[in-house]
Amino acid sequence: MEELILELKKEIIEVLNLEGMTPDDIDNDAPMFGDEGLALDSIDALELIVLLEKNYGIKLANAAAGKEVFKSVRTMAEYVSKNRTK
Amino acid sequence: MAGSLVVTGMGIISGLGTGKDKTLQALFAEKSAVGPIKHLQTTHTDIPVSEVEMTDEEMKTALHIPQSQLVTRTPLMAMIAAKEAIQQAHLQENKPKRIAFINGTTVGGMEKSEQFYLDFLGNENHKEFIAAHDCGAGTDAVADYFGIFDMTTTISTACSSAINALIIGANLIRTGKVDAAVVGGTECLSKFHLNGFNTLMILDRETCKPFSKNHVGLNLGEGAAYLVLEKAEAAQLRGVQPLCELNGYANFCDAFHQTATSPNGQGPYLAMQGALADANLQPSDIDYISCHGTGTGNNDSTEGIAITRVFGEHIPDFSSTKAFTGHTTSAAGSVEAVISILALQNNFIPANLNFSEKMDEVDITPVTKTKRKDIQHVMNNSFGFGGNDSSCIFSKIK
Amino acid sequence: MDIFIQSAAQISIQNPLCDDWFENPIAHTEGYNRSIEPDYKPFINPMAARRMGKLIKRAIATSISAKQSAGLEQVDAIITGTGLGCIENTEKFLSAMVNEGEQFLQPTYFMQSTHNTISSQIALNQKCNGYNCTYSHRGTSFESGLSDALQQMLLGRINNALVGGHDEMTPDYYNMLGKIGYWKQGELSEQILRQSSSKGSFAGETSVALIVGTNKTEHALCKLRDVDLLYKPSETALQDAVQRMLQQNNLQPSDIDALMLGLSGDCEYDAIYTNFANAFGKNTPIAWYKHIFGESFTAPAFGVYAAATCLAKESVPSHLLHNQKNEVKSPRNILLYNHFQNIDHSLILLSKC
Repeated sequence: MEELILELKKEIIEVLNLEGMTPDDIDNDAPMFGDEGLALDSIDALELIVLLEKNYGIKLANAAAGKEVFKSVRTMAEYVSKNRTK
Repeated sequence: MAGSLVVTGMGIISGLGTGKDKTLQALFAEKSAVGPIKHLQTTHTDIPVSEVEMTDEEMKTALHIPQSQLVTRTPLMAMIAAKEAIQQAHLQENKPKRIAFINGTTVGGMEKSEQFYLDFLGNENHKEFIAAHDCGAGTDAVADYFGIFDMTTTISTACSSAINALIIGANLIRTGKVDAAVVGGTECLSKFHLNGFNTLMILDRETCKPFSKNHVGLNLGEGAAYLVLEKAEAAQLRGVQPLCELNGYANFCDAFHQTATSPNGQGPYLAMQGALADANLQPSDIDYISCHGTGTGNNDSTEGIAITRVFGEHIPDFSSTKAFTGHTTSAAGSVEAVISILALQNNFIPANLNFSEKMDEVDITPVTKTKRKDIQHVMNNSFGFGGNDSSCIFSKIK
Repeated sequence: MDIFIQSAAQISIQNPLCDDWFENPIAHTEGYNRSIEPDYKPFINPMAARRMGKLIKRAIATSISAKQSAGLEQVDAIITGTGLGCIENTEKFLSAMVNEGEQFLQPTYFMQSTHNTISSQIALNQKCNGYNCTYSHRGTSFESGLSDALQQMLLGRINNALVGGHDEMTPDYYNMLGKIGYWKQGELSEQILRQSSSKGSFAGETSVALIVGTNKTEHALCKLRDVDLLYKPSETALQDAVQRMLQQNNLQPSDIDALMLGLSGDCEYDAIYTNFANAFGKNTPIAWYKHIFGESFTAPAFGVYAAATCLAKESVPSHLLHNQKNEVKSPRNILLYNHFQNIDHSLILLSKC
């Protein structure tokens, strides 16, 4: 799981263009959306949905479905390990 | 407002058909033009759209343009719609001194660029389409077809482009820069923006359901529509019968997010409020609102909230015609302006198709069946990406 | 009613956010040039900047800079001219779609690709709910925006506006335009452009922001008297438009101390400027600006910026003059004329404050 978390962090930094950030700057359990933590927004959520589909073969039906999955990097990693098709 | 402005001609092409008569018939028949993709070459065959029936070749034939002549689909649709408007206003026979063509478009020549992009980059093939890529190229192609324009320009404010074209044309007439203006917008479907909207996950896989609790997104459509604007006195001097008055308009920016509207609908609120103030009308004067009503959760709830903020307890009859035509993006403002004026002239309110239940966010219900009603003033809303929000009001000639 | 250009800011192939070019312009010898980027940190926070392409950053930096120079807290309107919009993001989305098919496409590139992204990102950054509009009409995109602001001030709909001209030139778009004759080949010099003996020009990038308004501010640059857009005018129609503009502003041709023309080194298009100047009067000094800022769809914004700067500094320096060497001292009125491929033409009249 730790390996997958690190991999996801690297991908998140790249796809969301989080300039100057390293995986160490992202807390595994901190909220990704909202006012705290990474403070990502709805467009970031769409980018993460593309990331899941492209890199792990996971298709989310709609943007709302991302809410639970993208709570933190850890919840995202757990979801990926359970549902990945590649 | 000093020196009233009138509409002396209008023309339209959309999935509903070519011309005002076909459009009116389809509205009365409550028949949606949204269906499976026929023309656009895409792998997303499960996404319904509203396409203009005619192929490019058929449009060229209808316009007496040689098949060999390079014209992309967006200006072809514009020519058909503008021709109907120009003929109705007798602009060619009885030409005002200076005429402007103010055109709204965003896709421009993209439908060809996306086909030939690898050629553009790699070899000399199809390089003639490079010059047709930008938005202004199509505008000038339309101007050349008619040969009556003294100035042209192109507005690109995404889905509110056509209303903004109308606003700019009106201002140019008011200051005396021009004597008449042909204003509106045109947009063909492209793989580029179909995929773009798809990545935003706001496309409904069924016909859209504006203002309905079960709405899940919009349908893209293509089309073009234009209005001829001039001063009332100028129309009278030319002996042309005005169709209605352009009574007021406003453009504001939501300044909240690139693709989403603020929770309290600030931009739409300011646009509607501004148009009322410009027209010197009270909210209670409005008999019908032709809404932007795309069918996305974000648009419908924020537009609804903005409407309740402007109109309070007494919300006028309102409907979105997006389930008829699809969202014709840069053309939507003028497509719906033509529909609004048809409603004004024929005293009816077009149905908001596919409505089943009120949204949770706001307690409002659109007109769901075609309704006969005397209409004096109609408000037309158009909102776009980037929070570009505009509204205008058409009124019967007193 | 008097209308003023209160302030201006630019990012270009000259030193950014300053008037260094007025004394010491950088000479360019390459056909393809990118803008010199300033440090954007004072203008945009990094979290907001992460989705912004170069063009948006430039637009926000020039807008903030112009607003600060004019001493304005807020503007009534934000109006942008852009020939191509955010073409870099358009290309990213388009090439992914063409090369990898219609899947896994990134929404950010799409939503940042629309032309009005520039105006709306400025509005977002400045929290401005006022009028917001974008013109994308080839070589007269910027002048269309300037005309819009002018008409609205004349009608009393707004008192001031932020008007910008913004275009980037990506390597791919440069190559594409090269295929249809936009650019000269080989090493360039001002001399080669001045000789104008071959087709094409050289490429620059444009980011110019102006504040225009009805209440003169302390450091106002000049008066904006008139803007006219003309579609395929005959030579007579063009001269009539000039006459009309001068008459309406109570000026004689002899009151015009310099013409600021869109000469670019393209033999075909420069000939039209030469005809224009000859018809206007052979003795009027001719100034140009594309030799230092390069050609782009919104390059005419540099014309307005350069002419406004000359009026404010009371000099048209010799390096801006095309047909003579002697500096024009204390210019009172400058008439600007530009055309895009002899299709869309624009006339702008500026006067000293």
